[in-house]
Amino acid sequence: MKVLSNIKGDKVIWAVVLILSIFSILAVYSSTGTLAYKYQGGNTEYYLLKHFIILVFGLTLMYVAHLVKYTYYSRISQIAIFLAVPLLLFTLLTGTNLNEASRWLTLPIINVTFQSSDLAKLALIMYVARLLSKKQEQIKDFQSAFVPIILPILIVCGLILPANFSTAAVLFTTCLVLMFVGRINLKYIGAMILIGVVLVGVFVAILMNSSNQGRLGTWKNRIENFRSGDSEGNYQVEQAKIAIATGGFFGKLPGNSTQRNFIPHPYSDFIFAIIIEEYGILGGFFMILLYCILLFRAVRILTRSPGTFGAFLAIGCSFSLVFQAMINMGVAVNVFPVTGQPLPLVSMGGTSIWFTSIALGIVLSVSKETETPDVPEVINASKPAKNGE
Amino acid sequence: MAKDVRKDILWRAYLVYLAVLIFALVLIGKVVYIQTAEGDYWRTKAKELTIDTLKVEAIRGDICSDDGSLLSTSVPIYEVRIDFGAITKELFNKDVDSLSSQLSKLFKDKSKNEYKQILISAQRHKDRYFLLKRDATYSQLKQLRTFGILKAGKYRGGRIEISKTRRVMPYQNLAMRTVGFERQGISVGIEGAYSTQLKGKNGLSLKQKIAGGIWMPLSDENQIEPQNGNDIISTIDINIQDVAENSLMQNLALHNAHHGCVILMEVQTGYIKAIANLTRSKDGTYVEQFNYAIGESSEPGSTFKLPTMMAALEDGLIDLNETVNTGNGVMKFFDQEMVDSHKGGYGTITAEQAFINSSNVGVSKLLYKSYFKHPEKFISRLYSFGINKPLNLEIGGEAPPYIKNTKSKTWSKVSLPWMSVGYEVRITPMQTLTFYNAVANNGRMVKPLFVKEIRQTGKVIETFNPIVINESICSKSTIEKAKKMLLGVVESGTGKGLKSNLYKIAGKTGTAQIARGNTGYGEDGNMSYKASFVGYFPADNPKYSCIVVINDPVNGTYYGASVAGPVFKEIADKLYATKLSTVAVTSVMNPNFMAPIVKTGNQLDLNKIYQSLNFLVRSDNPSAEWVESDAIKTTVNLKEKKMATNIVPNVVGMGTRDAIYILENAGLKVVLNGRGLVKSQSISAGSKIVNGAIIQLVLTRTVAADTLKEFFIKKTALDKQNELLAEKKNADIKDSLKTKKDDKKEKVTKVKDPKKNKNSKKTKNKGKGNKPKTPKNNNQH
Repeated sequence: MKVLSNIKGDKVIWAVVLILSIFSILAVYSSTGTLAYKYQGGNTEYYLLKHFIILVFGLTLMYVAHLVKYTYYSRISQIAIFLAVPLLLFTLLTGTNLNEASRWLTLPIINVTFQSSDLAKLALIMYVARLLSKKQEQIKDFQSAFVPIILPILIVCGLILPANFSTAAVLFTTCLVLMFVGRINLKYIGAMILIGVVLVGVFVAILMNSSNQGRLGTWKNRIENFRSGDSEGNYQVEQAKIAIATGGFFGKLPGNSTQRNFIPHPYSDFIFAIIIEEYGILGGFFMILLYCILLFRAVRILTRSPGTFGAFLAIGCSFSLVFQAMINMGVAVNVFPVTGQPLPLVSMGGTSIWFTSIALGIVLSVSKETETPDVPEVINASKPAKNGE
Repeated sequence: MAKDVRKDILWRAYLVYLAVLIFALVLIGKVVYIQTAEGDYWRTKAKELTIDTLKVEAIRGDICSDDGSLLSTSVPIYEVRIDFGAITKELFNKDVDSLSSQLSKLFKDKSKNEYKQILISAQRHKDRYFLLKRDATYSQLKQLRTFGILKAGKYRGGRIEISKTRRVMPYQNLAMRTVGFERQGISVGIEGAYSTQLKGKNGLSLKQKIAGGIWMPLSDENQIEPQNGNDIISTIDINIQDVAENSLMQNLALHNAHHGCVILMEVQTGYIKAIANLTRSKDGTYVEQFNYAIGESSEPGSTFKLPTMMAALEDGLIDLNETVNTGNGVMKFFDQEMVDSHKGGYGTITAEQAFINSSNVGVSKLLYKSYFKHPEKFISRLYSFGINKPLNLEIGGEAPPYIKNTKSKTWSKVSLPWMSVGYEVRITPMQTLTFYNAVANNGRMVKPLFVKEIRQTGKVIETFNPIVINESICSKSTIEKAKKMLLGVVESGTGKGLKSNLYKIAGKTGTAQIARGNTGYGEDGNMSYKASFVGYFPADNPKYSCIVVINDPVNGTYYGASVAGPVFKEIADKLYATKLSTVAVTSVMNPNFMAPIVKTGNQLDLNKIYQSLNFLVRSDNPSAEWVESDAIKTTVNLKEKKMATNIVPNVVGMGTRDAIYILENAGLKVVLNGRGLVKSQSISAGSKIVNGAIIQLVLTRTVAADTLKEFFIKKTALDKQNELLAEKKNADIKDSLKTKKDDKKEKVTKVKDPKKNKNSKKTKNKGKGNKPKTPKNNNQH
């Protein structure tokens, strides 16, 4: 009860999170059948229980994160970024190979695989929010604002890129959006986008002329498949489309998915397709709506947020999450080529959910400060920079 | 936060939010697009990928004898394989010893160590599809499912079961070639001829791919219900068939003959009641391998004298009483010598005697005299009898007859005399029999039929009525003359040996030299013969016609009467005793006949039987209910068999009916295995009775009992209607067991004829086409 009475922050965000969690449990339970038969001898409850525990732990993390006064995240971001960069380096060199992508790091002792980019992502967003907030005075300046901010972004994204192109791209885009909201000179952002596009172009050019093996080969195939729309070579997309097409308006109802047996990783990358199959367009629409509400509530925080750091933190964390969700759903409906972005809070997978939970906890922590109408006045007076320190 | 700063931040944030909203709309738009514009395409694709049709195999119908005994039926068999990828090493090592010994005990085909070796080797290679047993029966499978590792099923125990059906013939060799088979496009016998009726229609059910790559039926009901095949009720009488087959086998073995066949036909209907074809195999045993009866067309020899004589009689060219000089038994036609088998000839005899004694010289002289000017008349007369046409039998493989005409290239001056005695023509035993049957049937030629009815789940849907080929093959007077001659053959001619005091047989012997390919008829002393006897009985009112052909007897005798005759006689006797006799057999009982020892049984029953057979009966306790019998010459001693009330009685040696009666009255449940007499009982005699305990009786004949039982399990599960019928029948039998009245009557007739008793081991289940639910019915005699 004490915990319940201690729940603060935006109730709508809490509600969205809970609804997403319920969706998540249903969809994951329905789609892990194949996995359960493969690895657990048909014990389908195994994944249900595992996922449930992960979700509960995620909610706990979120709760804890929201209790922390948001101003502390300014300092935490510094620690986190100094932790994340070496970890990324370490992962890049030694990480566990899944799909030939060195993304995962096995934590010693507790033996949990862990995607270091998840930590880096959160750390970077917090850090960029901190920097933006600190440089508000001279924000339009190139030397004193743009460069110090873009540098850590480039470093982190650069470290993620070889192992996980899509995460790096999503993170980079998120940071650019955050910079845009943070009032960085549009010229520089535009230039950055241009450079990014050119770089991606060069990258793709190199890719297309490289061998078909390894990580490069996977990327190449994915891009080729998406571009040609070749249904033969694009099994995942085809199966996802079947799931969507057979879902209809109301869906096949929970537990009746057939495509879960055909779509690879139906519980993560393509969970949105399974959701549409079982819950129809209605369910899919509701899902998208939930994420939109999430972002909307975060934007609303801005109107009353005590300082720029809180504002940037809230918009950064929530946008990162919603943007990733849009990318995931975009992949499922074939608006984007296949990437490995999980659907935040919904897809199965421990560390992803936990970092998402922490991010949401941070958003809630900020929202907490906007609840009492008197407070903004008080903090409004103080300098944002002071909050940051 | 400064107001302008906040404002600046806000519009930027709203812009971002708008972008996200637009993106969200794009997503929804794409979903709608996939569902509508591309919808049909993907949904069709989905069906192709996830749903497939599964063939639901119809169960092939049975082929039954005329009383409903199964001649050919389908039983499920299982292929058992092991997926060693699914078994952990520890589990395997722990279990391999006990598993090997269990397997060895179950299948009895390999020793425990052999099994162990094979299993270990397969485990080492991680064989994912190791063949353990190709054709396990259902009961074996049931036991197998309880064994060690395999108990855990497919995913942990690696047990893979593949269900198939196998066609079995419960009576094995009996009429095997006529019952036939169908495999890989080869169709033989009834099985092949009625394949479309038997096979039914396969059904369809929709199946769906589920987790683990398993196809599961989409719903409980099939999309198209399979239509099980119809049952074919053949004309074959399993008892007569047994006699025919056994008798033929004994005689073939006796004469070390190469092959032979027997056909028994019902005169009026043309129904084939028995048809046996046996060939000597390499190991000296006789097996059904080729349907000689319908497929072997050869020179018939003397049996062909009937149509030739009838032709001359019909044309009014000869008279039975006219004489013919056979001289010393040798007659020269141009450059060829016609020789009588009777050395020295018969001198001057009548035409009738020439036929009765099968004088080649006599018959050929008569026919030559009649037709030498117009041999074409002879041919056209023969043709008018219809013997030049194939019978177009239901079952495949009939060899067409070859009766050459005068225009034929091989026609020569000697063709007429040689044809008259059955050479230079080819005809199958079935075609010969059909002709003789027509004579027996007063000139009406009927087509031989193998199938009586077609039934659908016990209901008759098609009946095969006799088909008349020729209403009258010749004049009544010719038929009468032919009959007179045929009767003469057995009464005083070459077929004397078949003569019976009880009834009259009419027929004709035949002893043909066999043309051996290009080498002709062989050198003297190296002759190859074909002995045959064809005829009908009882001669005054023919009911059955029969032909026996034995090829290449090598142990001295080769005459039709002495080689083929005994088989004919045995079948005729059997039929007379069971179907034709109205007179009590006791009247002919030889007074010195030894009293037969019968099964342990009810004293009243035994007393009545023995006394009705005029045997002297002594009993040590006339009031005892159950007695054992012991016979010394014509005196029978009955000894009381004590049946204590609270201990399990000894029923070994008893008939099943009595054993069931005693045991069930004692409060035990009886499970039978096989048929015949009780060989052993699972609860030993003298043990205390536990009410309701199940006692298993192993009977003397257990052939195919296992497979039959499985068949019943399958059939009952599938066929509720039959189950109900069987239950009803079951109740009837229980009633009759209790009253025991009808029972006694039946027994009297049974023991009357000891010979019949001997053969009755093949008698089974008179239930008309029902598949009885309990094995109990299955064992009624």
